[in-house]
Amino acid sequence: MKRTLHAAGALLVAGGLLATSACGGSSGKEAGGKTTVTVMTWESNATNQLIDKALAGFHDPGITVKRIDTPNGNYGDKLASLTQAKKLPDLFWCGNDTELQYTGQGLLTDWSEKLSGSADFTTGSFVPTAMKNWKTADGKIGGVPSLMNTYGIWYDIDAFKAAGIPVPAAGWTWDEMYAAADKLHKKGAKYGLVADAMTGLDAPFSLSLYSLSAGGAPFADSVNQPTEVTADATYTEGVGKLVAGIKSGAVAPPGYDISNQQSLFAAGQIPMLWSGQWLAAGFLTDKPKIKYGFAPLPQVGKAATLYDAVGICTPSYTQNADATFKVLKYLDSTVWTKVLPDSPVAVPAYTAAQDAYFDALGKAGLTTVASTVKADLDAPLTMGVRFTTQWASQSNDLITAYWPDILQGKKPLSDLQTMTDKINDVIKSNG
Amino acid sequence: MTATPDPRLRRRDKLTSDTRAAYAFMAPALIGFTVFVVYPLIRSAYFALTRYNGLTAPVFVGLGNFRRMFTTDPSFWPSVRATLLLVVLYVPLSLAIGLALAVFCNRRMRGVRVLRTLVYLPVVLPVVATITLWKFVFNPQVGLANQVLTWLHLPTSEWLSGEGSAMPSIVIVMLWSVGSTMIIFLAALQAVPTELYEAARIDGAGSRTMFFRITLPLISPIMVLQVVLQLVTALQTFNQPKILSPDGLGGPGFSTRVLMLSIYNNGFPTLGRVADFGYASAQVWVLFLVIVVVIAATARFSSVWTYSDHVS
Repeated sequence: MKRTLHAAGALLVAGGLLATSACGGSSGKEAGGKTTVTVMTWESNATNQLIDKALAGFHDPGITVKRIDTPNGNYGDKLASLTQAKKLPDLFWCGNDTELQYTGQGLLTDWSEKLSGSADFTTGSFVPTAMKNWKTADGKIGGVPSLMNTYGIWYDIDAFKAAGIPVPAAGWTWDEMYAAADKLHKKGAKYGLVADAMTGLDAPFSLSLYSLSAGGAPFADSVNQPTEVTADATYTEGVGKLVAGIKSGAVAPPGYDISNQQSLFAAGQIPMLWSGQWLAAGFLTDKPKIKYGFAPLPQVGKAATLYDAVGICTPSYTQNADATFKVLKYLDSTVWTKVLPDSPVAVPAYTAAQDAYFDALGKAGLTTVASTVKADLDAPLTMGVRFTTQWASQSNDLITAYWPDILQGKKPLSDLQTMTDKINDVIKSNG
Repeated sequence: MTATPDPRLRRRDKLTSDTRAAYAFMAPALIGFTVFVVYPLIRSAYFALTRYNGLTAPVFVGLGNFRRMFTTDPSFWPSVRATLLLVVLYVPLSLAIGLALAVFCNRRMRGVRVLRTLVYLPVVLPVVATITLWKFVFNPQVGLANQVLTWLHLPTSEWLSGEGSAMPSIVIVMLWSVGSTMIIFLAALQAVPTELYEAARIDGAGSRTMFFRITLPLISPIMVLQVVLQLVTALQTFNQPKILSPDGLGGPGFSTRVLMLSIYNNGFPTLGRVADFGYASAQVWVLFLVIVVVIAATARFSSVWTYSDHVS
């Protein structure tokens, strides 16, 4: 009897130990008085190895840097569980929306004071659009932008030649894009243009580029603190052109399976693909069969593009903020200069580190990628890719309920108004 | 003079110590059940009445989550519709195919054991891996399914990418694991006394008559059990729509966003979104009540459906 109770007790203790064993954890002192700063990324194994190699170059007698391994496929789940358990590492990769929401909840360390001033790692050291969007309404900066996604149209040069169409270039128009898609489709491509950005959940924001470029109103007045969404006449005109493109078969419809779009493009089966610069890194390792290029997104009047930066965040309970900030600075500047030459995945938001990225693209002969990324960084008009608010999933459901049906002609264009009215109700009800 | 102890008292003492031992042995399971089932149930009932993101203190909103669910949430009713469609498609098909396979595998013929193994094999394979393979099979551009249809000169399908074809595609994947249904039916079929068939044969009954007059009535209690099991399986389906839908959210549109996936999306949102545990908990309770009602109704009418040979 006693033995049984002892055994049961031992089992429970073991279970408890298992349950409480930390897999994240914030900075702390280790033997010898050194501070350990923990880092968690969502990168692939290959990129993580490059980061580890770069971090080996960080020398501070009082700091040890330890990267926590995490499966990049389940990063979101891991982040959520560590957040709930209050065991977030000192530095973790985060999206703009995570940073703004967590900062709003008081979960992150505010770096605004450390980033002010005139040293070499301040708010002025970053691409202005990126830094502006990483600040909360009350001026807090709970994370620092690291890499910026830029968007454009990947195109198959041979397909364009075969169809007798000039390849896309900076300044090309939306009408030219749809006309090219139509010709490519008629020449045998299943769809001339695959653009999940125009048919998926973030599509209403992507279509803002049409209205913004034409001098109209954007879909949302802000993605961080929106007060209203609108679908003005220009915006509706842009959506109408997309509807026509889908109807004719020139543009892939909503629901198109994008899981293989990169390999299909590389195999010459998708002549035009709306995507990001990150494909370039993949094309360097798995060389496409086709000759390809990357052009800026089309315009009506002024150049307009989407902004989307990811970054590095720090929990409010980091044990040693000074040590963490030192590692953050090294990560967000020096590390990229060492990692990007081997894996030019995105342009750093920290401007002094951008040369490493552009040099890597130049060495690889990806001149159109470099020029498009530069054009995006210089674009006078920008739009966020999605709402970063806590209630974004509610607006996403409304977009899901209306957008695909409007694009496929199951609902009239006038229902854009109904959709925006309902999203405005969500905005109002959430204060 | 000493009193003789009452033997009944000694037995009660012994019983008490036996009971204590029994509770001690049950303790780990009881503690586990309390900690991992009872406590979360109570907590989720409380969260269902709050606005709670898991990061800050819950705010009491009363029935606000339920009001939002039934009136303003554009995804709730489509989720209910998707769940019902899944039930309507999956439950009858899984029972019919499972039973047909069981009848076939119950024959005495060469290779029947290999056949049973092959039918049951998908059940023991890792679920996520097989579902992921199906995703490749159903890829509209390069998938095996459309290639086979092309070879056969049949029209291809959008499969998981089409709003109309996505749910049937998911049902096909679920039916891939019909082996578990088959094995239970097979056990029931083998419990039917063979002399009943022999007697029926002497009376001139054909195989169809024997199936409907002997086999089905005698396996009807198992059929009821299977109906309940398959209903619960269908109502709690999560893996297939989560892995197979193009966006992982139950698309295209809301066509495969079943209730379980809707709950998951709200409780464990995509990277960058803050959880909505309060609303997800409210949805959990709605689903729980639906399952309870379905099981209770099935149990209530099971006496009508099942054959009973007891002599009053």
